[in-house]
Amino acid sequence: MTCPACGAELVYDSHEAIKGPDGKEMCPYRDRGYSALRSGHDKVYFGKWRKMDSTTTDFRRAYRQIERHLKAIGSVLETKDLPAAKRDLGKAIESYYAVDPEGESPDALRFMDHALSYAHMAIDDLLHEEGLPPHDPMEFSKWYDAVEVPFKEEW
Amino acid sequence: MISLERYPREIRLRDGAQLTFRPMIREDADRLWDFFCRIPAEDKMVFREDVSRKEVVERWAENLDYASVLPILALEGDQVVADATLHRNRTGWKQRVGTIRIQIAPDFRERGLGTAMIREMRHLGEKAALRYLRAEAIEEQEAAIGAFEKMGFDRMGVYPNFVNDQKGRLHNLVVLLYPMPYSEVEMNF
Repeated sequence: MTCPACGAELVYDSHEAIKGPDGKEMCPYRDRGYSALRSGHDKVYFGKWRKMDSTTTDFRRAYRQIERHLKAIGSVLETKDLPAAKRDLGKAIESYYAVDPEGESPDALRFMDHALSYAHMAIDDLLHEEGLPPHDPMEFSKWYDAVEVPFKEEW
Repeated sequence: MISLERYPREIRLRDGAQLTFRPMIREDADRLWDFFCRIPAEDKMVFREDVSRKEVVERWAENLDYASVLPILALEGDQVVADATLHRNRTGWKQRVGTIRIQIAPDFRERGLGTAMIREMRHLGEKAALRYLRAEAIEEQEAAIGAFEKMGFDRMGVYPNFVNDQKGRLHNLVVLLYPMPYSEVEMNF
């Protein structure tokens, strides 16, 4: 299922979907604050490009997804007075530009990871301003059929 | 003067704990004293001042001057669970450099509060038009150093056997710097 609200590509086959009061399947990102940015992040984070059997097409798709994701964060930040978040986004864009779009460079995966990681920080900056905890992709992992890894706060 | 209009702020941690961030006021002396009483002795060993003496904390509360030292407390209900301070020089060659210090209650560590307080200090540094934020930690404080680095601080150097704790033992001091962002250009595609 692709969530019509946030665009998340969710898997419902391995568990029961969250249902709203009307009994309809509900997007797990709903009402979580910056839901479109969260799902945009997780779409790339849990994408096939990171798997051992990924293809060049998977990588190119992820490359475009990251571009759209960074633009979406940029649109939100345009109206905010949050220099640190803009700096994090700037670093994400810098890493994105360093990526070989064909994924053939040995550093391509690393730069993609950096871009996604800095984008995550920018989202967390936005969430902090709303008084919300940082985004934890693993909280949504089951919707992507990903293996759950316990998350440990660092400090 | 930094605008403090954003306070008090409600902050929720990932585990659901609901906290309030706000500047320390004179009436917080007892709350802050209670907080420092809960800090383990080994942590207090590397404080700049002896916070095991109540008069030290009372003196801070009596002499609050936000332009020099801005203390932001994190409270759960009426209890202080963390204390972050932004230290600034009003004049001189370091007037654009802010130093931050953060202390977290033991039962609130590894819950994301330290990271949230670093974010708060970054915000205040921006509002104070600082060029750099500086943080220091002894090398054994790995979790704190990791959190600073994750938030964009660069490890600028390690001074070997540079500081002593209150028992006279020497420790390596790690100095971290965060360059404050001003360029809008870098975020444009």
